[in-house]
Amino acid sequence: MAAKDISIIHPRPSSIVAALYTLRDLNVDVAILHGPPGCSFKHARLLEEDGIHVVTTALDESGFVFGGRRELSSVLKKVSEMFHPKLIGVVGTCASMIIGEELSEPVMDAGLDIPVIEVEVHAGYANNTKGVLLTLESALDVGVIDKEEFERQKVLLEEATEVEKRHGAASKEYLAPSRGDLKYKVAQRIIELLREGKKGLVIMNAKKETGYMFADISVAIHEIASRMGMSANVVNMANLDVSLGLPRVREHAHNIMHDLKEKGVLIHEITGGLDEYPIAGNVVGDLIAKKYKDHDFAVITGVPHAIPMDHISHMEIIAVTNGPRQVLPLKEMGHKHVVVEIDLHPKTLGVKHIVESELGATMREIAKEMLEGPR
Amino acid sequence: MGKQKRIAIYGKGGIGKSSTASNVAAACADEGYKVMIIGCDPKSDSSITLLGGRRIPTILDLLRLGVEVTEEDIVFHGYGDVRCVEVGGPEPGIGCAGRGIIVAIKTLKDICKEMDDMDLIIYDVPGDIVCGGFVAPIKKGLVNDAYVLTSGEYMPLYAANNICKGLSKIDTRLSGVICNSRSVTREEEIVRRFAEDIGSKLVAFIPKEQIVQDCERDGFSVIEKAPGSDIAQVYRDLAQAIMSNSDSATPTSLDDERLRELTR
Ligand SMILES: Nc1ncnc2c1ncn2[C@@H]1O[C@H](COP(=O)(O)OP(=O)(O)O)[C@@H](O)[C@H]1O
Ligand code: SF4
Ligand SMILES: [Mg+2]
Repeated sequence: MAAKDISIIHPRPSSIVAALYTLRDLNVDVAILHGPPGCSFKHARLLEEDGIHVVTTALDESGFVFGGRRELSSVLKKVSEMFHPKLIGVVGTCASMIIGEELSEPVMDAGLDIPVIEVEVHAGYANNTKGVLLTLESALDVGVIDKEEFERQKVLLEEATEVEKRHGAASKEYLAPSRGDLKYKVAQRIIELLREGKKGLVIMNAKKETGYMFADISVAIHEIASRMGMSANVVNMANLDVSLGLPRVREHAHNIMHDLKEKGVLIHEITGGLDEYPIAGNVVGDLIAKKYKDHDFAVITGVPHAIPMDHISHMEIIAVTNGPRQVLPLKEMGHKHVVVEIDLHPKTLGVKHIVESELGATMREIAKEMLEGPR
Repeated sequence: MGKQKRIAIYGKGGIGKSSTASNVAAACADEGYKVMIIGCDPKSDSSITLLGGRRIPTILDLLRLGVEVTEEDIVFHGYGDVRCVEVGGPEPGIGCAGRGIIVAIKTLKDICKEMDDMDLIIYDVPGDIVCGGFVAPIKKGLVNDAYVLTSGEYMPLYAANNICKGLSKIDTRLSGVICNSRSVTREEEIVRRFAEDIGSKLVAFIPKEQIVQDCERDGFSVIEKAPGSDIAQVYRDLAQAIMSNSDSATPTSLDDERLRELTR
């Protein structure tokens, strides 16, 4: 018998929401939440930006008592008429799972002639990766993904869970959210380092679509370094392998790479796919040990805590995260500056091009004043 | 795997489901079958008479401690090597016993490799199907034969009839009705008529015998403690009937008037 994990008291990402995002990555046209109308409301709304419809069976008090088999089958029929989907996902919630709702029966009742991914999930799992895993298992069952992709994802999920336990949101009993360091100060410091001719690494280790914004930081640094004639001092790394991951994830990598190329940003090292942030950190670590040990500073964006400190602890590290609870653990790891891109995720849904980041915009503004002088 | 029997016995609380289940389990074990009994009642009293009166830790007891549960922690070998498992549950009036059954059954399915090798698995379920959780074994596709146990009295028949209503609602077929006697007049005839009226059949008539309770008090089944008794032979016949039964039908429940009529 293994010992129990620490009991964490800050609220964390939900497995139900994780299932929804995974369904989106699997390109379902509609996801149906089988549960109360308010469940996962914010994400359900945001996901519509990404072109999928998220609807609910809106179980009420009477649904809790009498079950919602009929409600679910009628919503299934309704969405099939309204949206003509080719693939549907049905997602459980705490409420429906506690009362023992079966998803397969209403799906059978509805009798649609398209595949339906049934995810019996609730929000009571310690790690939200469970929601991803349950979704992938079900997708494997209905043949939406193959065994090989499933096994690959499973390894990534296990690693992602470990990364969060080591230095992430699951590393402490309570983590207070923080806005991090002032963007203005940090932007100034990056420019100063460039101007002094210091050698820098710009490492993007982003999770899926968040790459649309984290990549902007690589772009901004490239622009400024070029104007200063210092671009030879900067090495870019990014987990932008266009041949890895689910179709939607590859498309993101492709779009971002396309934009980077257009903006003249050369990525010297591709460290993995956009869903490989939990393991790409080790690739980064190995590359640094082999080739870039002598660099003076590193700007790490996305999931900076996935990069081992072994070979970077002597560098001045600037971390850029979108998790306010990630500031403290990053500082403890030894990252000197930590910047939070607040509300990054919503801005990266439904986009196909790189989106400007606050840190990027701040750097551009400062550099402009510095290089062109105040007007 | 195809020939594996996975049965559940439903019936009014106190009617004799657990004692019938454990005696059938013991009788099948004597015949050389590999048997497992899974007690789904929060009272956790399904397997006591197979374990010489010993109580075993339940799946939910262990899950509650937050430890990782292994097969050895929850599967205990009783009389004739019958594998005994108790789901357990919260104290009466607290939490959600139905959810408990769902979680425990899933845990068991995930960690118990032995289940696949069994010839017979008996789910001993609580008296009333009060919520979704209590039919989890059926809904999760774990049960392929359902039986209803009743006496010839009005209330147990009423409960049996309700259970049939529930079973047909979840599209589950009934493999037979077992009469556990409470020494009512014309009892066998009443229960046989009930069975036929709902579209099923009577598979056994178990007489009421003091020896069942005497053995139970000492922590044994009659198969173990009184193998030569007449009632032991009745359980053996029932065990054989269950192992060879391949009929089932979706039950049609009776209206209350018809039910009263039967017992008049
Ligand atoms: N055929 C029988 N003859 C005598 N007593 C019986 C018989 N069947 C069951 N009993 C007794 O009835 C009581 C209730 O039985 P039990 O199996 O616990 O019911 P249930 O599991 O349906 O709630 C027990 O004390 C049991 O020994
Ligand atoms: S408790 Fe569970 S079901 Fe209810 S709103 Fe929250 S996540 Fe949804
Ligand atoms: Mg019982």
